[in-house]
Amino acid sequence: MIGIFPRGFGPRPGWRFRARGSLPLGLLLALVFSSSSLPGFCASSWRDLFQQGRSAYLGGDYTNAAALFRRSAAARPASGTLQNLGNAEWQIQRPGLAVLAWEQACWLNPFNQAARNNLDFARREAQLESPELAWYEVVSTWLPVNWWAWITGVSFWAALGLAALPAFLGLRKTGWQQGAAAFVLGVFLLSVPAHFGVTSRARLGFVLERNTPLRLTPTDDAQYLARLQSGEPARFERRHGKFVLVRTSRAEGWIEKTQLGLICPRD
Amino acid sequence: MVSFLLPTVAQASSPAGSGRVPPPGRARPPFRRFLALAYAACFCWLAPGARAQLATSPQPVVRDPLMALMLSQPRIDVESPVQPTATFDPPMAKPGERVTYRVVINALEASIQWPDKLPDTGNLQLEAGAHGQLLAMNGALFKPSTTFNYHVRPKQPGHFTVPAFSVEVYGKAVTIPTAELEVRGDLPAHLPAPAHLQLELEPTNIFVGQAVKARVYSPPHPGSVVQGLAQVQINGEGFIVDAATARPRVEATAPRAGLSGMTYIHEVLLTPMASGRLSAFAQAYSVDNRTFAGAIGTGPSIVPGQASQYTLLDSDPVVFAVKPLPHEGQPEGFTGAVGRFEVQPPQLSTNEVRVGDPVKLTVRVRGEGNLVRLVAPPPPQVRDWQVFAGEQDPNHPQIILAQGATTFTYTLVPLNEKSQATPIIPFSYFDPDQEKYVNASIPSVGITVEPGAVPVDLGVMDQARSSAAPEEKLPVLSDLAREPGLAAGSLVPLQRQPWFPLLQLAPAVAFFGLWIWKRRQQYFEAHPGVVLRRRARRALRRQRRLLGRAARDRNAPAFAAAAVGAMRVACSPHYPAEPRALVGGDVLAVLPETSRGGDTGRVVRRFFEATDGTRYGGLPEDGSELLALRPQLEHLLDHLEGRL
Repeated sequence: MIGIFPRGFGPRPGWRFRARGSLPLGLLLALVFSSSSLPGFCASSWRDLFQQGRSAYLGGDYTNAAALFRRSAAARPASGTLQNLGNAEWQIQRPGLAVLAWEQACWLNPFNQAARNNLDFARREAQLESPELAWYEVVSTWLPVNWWAWITGVSFWAALGLAALPAFLGLRKTGWQQGAAAFVLGVFLLSVPAHFGVTSRARLGFVLERNTPLRLTPTDDAQYLARLQSGEPARFERRHGKFVLVRTSRAEGWIEKTQLGLICPRD
Repeated sequence: MVSFLLPTVAQASSPAGSGRVPPPGRARPPFRRFLALAYAACFCWLAPGARAQLATSPQPVVRDPLMALMLSQPRIDVESPVQPTATFDPPMAKPGERVTYRVVINALEASIQWPDKLPDTGNLQLEAGAHGQLLAMNGALFKPSTTFNYHVRPKQPGHFTVPAFSVEVYGKAVTIPTAELEVRGDLPAHLPAPAHLQLELEPTNIFVGQAVKARVYSPPHPGSVVQGLAQVQINGEGFIVDAATARPRVEATAPRAGLSGMTYIHEVLLTPMASGRLSAFAQAYSVDNRTFAGAIGTGPSIVPGQASQYTLLDSDPVVFAVKPLPHEGQPEGFTGAVGRFEVQPPQLSTNEVRVGDPVKLTVRVRGEGNLVRLVAPPPPQVRDWQVFAGEQDPNHPQIILAQGATTFTYTLVPLNEKSQATPIIPFSYFDPDQEKYVNASIPSVGITVEPGAVPVDLGVMDQARSSAAPEEKLPVLSDLAREPGLAAGSLVPLQRQPWFPLLQLAPAVAFFGLWIWKRRQQYFEAHPGVVLRRRARRALRRQRRLLGRAARDRNAPAFAAAAVGAMRVACSPHYPAEPRALVGGDVLAVLPETSRGGDTGRVVRRFFEATDGTRYGGLPEDGSELLALRPQLEHLLDHLEGRL
């Protein structure tokens, strides 16, 4: 137990405390209890799933491998996990889920060349088209998505700080401070388009099922405008009930929510 | 325009001497007639119809031949009322027997909004089968007929019903009638088996790109009746069917289902394009009169005056495994040929040629496999020859299959007289039996090359080859990642997570705090008295604590020292001076004049005397006198603190 035993009464220059026992039992219990929620403690579980998935894949059990990789990715999304998930989905002939997994792998880590190659391979094999990206979306693919948020935030406040702190502290502005402020401001301005690119690219999705009907209206008996292939890119526009409005390279229409897989899942 | 002129003409034609004098400037009567006629001619000429009639020669209307062909076809009957039928084939079956639920609608398939799921059929688990459309000639019109098949194998005897349900056809609701099925175990044995197709694939364990023979057998019939099939299709994904290789025929087959005789067989080549487990089933229309007035006959029959009935039959799905071609060890010259092939000695069009003159090289390839889709190996890049890509066999695929061979023709141009033989053309194929690639390169053929009239610039040829685009390396599926790699807490980007925008407030709060601090510092610099007073108050509180402690301990010297210290620190901001430098008179000067001579002043002098005495001499004998002055002292200190 931790006890506070002030000497005497009334205000004193300082407080003094001493603990009873070698180590507070409650603090120890709190540490043990909270350790289960620490990322380090759970790392073994999702890594184990990853390794189990690898073993199942190498043994030819692609369905089980896909399930294990999916669980690992759900626990902690990682670029390598999603790449392997895509491979397993491709082996069990689910190109839509495979393309989605590889795109998510590139979303987290654009430097994953294997996932990029797999996307080229799948699109060539299944004759699928790549999603059309605006210039700012292309810029956003140069770095992992979360890096842009930190770059934008840090550069903005760094520029503000370098410009305003000398004045706050009453210091004379030097040339290097102004140069650094200009440089950091430039980084911020260059990262803003990528920031928007990340936001708009988050609405990108892929059709999961084969011959998905693209409907004119969000109803079950709506007229079909077209049939979408598994793995075809589509942009999410809005939701209405169990349907979502998507825009493809050919047309705009409604499909069921479960038939579209978004790179960035929404609530 | 003419009427404008008529009055003029009328006036002009008035007889002379009538007393009317024509106004000056108007034309004379003959000239006016001429003008009227000229205007009338111009009007007629400008009229569209007249202009067309006056054209030099009428142009014949040229009709597009395709349009003419389309217009010459009979129209499709979409006006007749839609009369759907729904039946079970057969209507009575044994438990475990395959039964087909068939709906036939006399409408175009594209105009039918067929539901994805049928209404509740109770214990019957209907599985979707084939569906198709047929256009049958009926008088001067094509009569459309669309059929939807479902299959079921009832396990228990009983009476089953598929209730009526509504379907939209041509935008209107149409009711599909009820269909009933009787399942009994005591059916007579003479009833023929339900009619359905049989699909056979030979072989079933194959590789991607390996052509296999798919045979569709028509259902057997007693006697010598052979039931033909129309619109035979093999459905499924992951493979292509070469319709040009179709070989329909009637063959004597081994007895099946207790029936023997001739059977109609539709054989076609099927080439899988994807690996894995693929499924295929066949469908076709059989021409018979088994179905009439919504009832199913027990066998083929000819009803006088009855038009031929087309019944859509299908087969059970056939699952076959397709293995991918191995990527390792794929030699040069492999163009996708899978099977067993033999390259026969190539033939040259001539064995003597001059430099720069072309020569044809004909290569004949025999074998078993996808001969129809065999692609000529690419021409090699050699220094002494210029080889143009091979031409495919122009024969019909059925002729190629019948011959069991195909030919390629290359055009070669010698670039110098040093060549004594044609270059070897790399070619290889994959043998599915041995499961390995086999090298079957086209050998070189001896030839005599004589010098040509114009020398060939080999340097240009080399430059053209070197500048040619490198062969595109096709991407392949990568290996598994060994490590999870770069991870994140979520796929949702930070910008959309709720805590991230809030995190941006932290530096804002820090900057704001810094600004507040800076302002405060500037204020204190501008108002130093404020700082002095704050310090004095703090010191006074400290002295008062010492005062209280000394009073509790009944320590008169400490009490007096603390009291003097308190008075000094309370008065120091007024001078300003170091508190220790102040004396009793300085303290009295801070007090109001009326208080200096009263009790308050006496208290001040008393404490200062006590501390001076302690410092320079001894205390008075009665120290409690000072302690008793505490209330007055506290009152004085309160007054001094109030003035800070």
